[in-house]
Amino acid sequence: MASTEDRLRTLVAENLEVDGQPVNVPADLNVSLTDAGVPSMDFVAFAKVIVREFDVPLTPDECADFSTLKDLAAYIDSQAA
Amino acid sequence: MGSSAVGRWWRPFRSVAEATVFYVDLLPHAAHEARALECLSAEERVRSGRYLHAGSRRRFILCRAALRAVLCHRLACNGQQITFGASSYGKPFARVDETPSPVGFNVSHAGSHGLIAVAPRGRIGVDIEERVPRDDLNDLTDAVLGPNEKREFVLLHGNRRTHFFYRMWTLKEALIKALGHGFSQDPAEFEVPLAVRRGARAGTLRFPNRPRSLWRVNDLGTEKFAAAVAVETNPGHSLMSAE
Repeated sequence: MASTEDRLRTLVAENLEVDGQPVNVPADLNVSLTDAGVPSMDFVAFAKVIVREFDVPLTPDECADFSTLKDLAAYIDSQAA
Repeated sequence: MGSSAVGRWWRPFRSVAEATVFYVDLLPHAAHEARALECLSAEERVRSGRYLHAGSRRRFILCRAALRAVLCHRLACNGQQITFGASSYGKPFARVDETPSPVGFNVSHAGSHGLIAVAPRGRIGVDIEERVPRDDLNDLTDAVLGPNEKREFVLLHGNRRTHFFYRMWTLKEALIKALGHGFSQDPAEFEVPLAVRRGARAGTLRFPNRPRSLWRVNDLGTEKFAAAVAVETNPGHSLMSAE
């Protein structure tokens, strides 16, 4: 089964774009959604995707608070543990 | 902060009570971007380098330089005197020579459009969105609209539904940004005043869970974009702390 980081990378590619282009995050996920240029409306939508895909509690505010996508993946894993 | 050689990329757009909203042209423009980059602090230049996409970097650089110019004019200072701090929820405020300024400001950008809202004092929020059709509007409405707003949304179709959603979003986002608590203020837990939902360009409201402050909200939308500004009508709240 794919790791949380791999699944998160796929979800970003499938659900987020900036200026009509996919968000190409670095392989180590060491980037924030803000630095990726993701607007606030997409934070709200993406938080709902995360909740649905991983069955973890996550508000848009919490989603925006993670410094990097790697931190978000760690949070998801901690909720599943 | 001079920009006469290459021209300005921002201009006054609307006045709302004591607040002024500036429009910022964010179309690609090499001379504007070069001039804007010169106006940023070393820290802001580092931040601009972190953006993954050229468009995001350009929007940040042009908006931040325009904000610096607007604040310098308002505060009668030069760019080197201005630094930015942030409240515990990340809402920025300006310092002049390390002294916090009472001037409230907020910035929003979408695509090639930016807005900067400035008020002499108190909290202010602004939002702008391009009305891009989305296939996840139903998901978003669950997260964003209150019960009455949802009932009104489902009665609409096509472009009218998209317009209504973006109008509600920008009004709520402007209010949430003005409040300065991020999305810890749930947008579905308050509703835009009925008259504004029905087309009035301005109205006032109080957050049900934070009734102390009265907020004025104005629809600034045009044919090109949806936009709104929210202003605290009874400022007295510190820009540096949460309510």
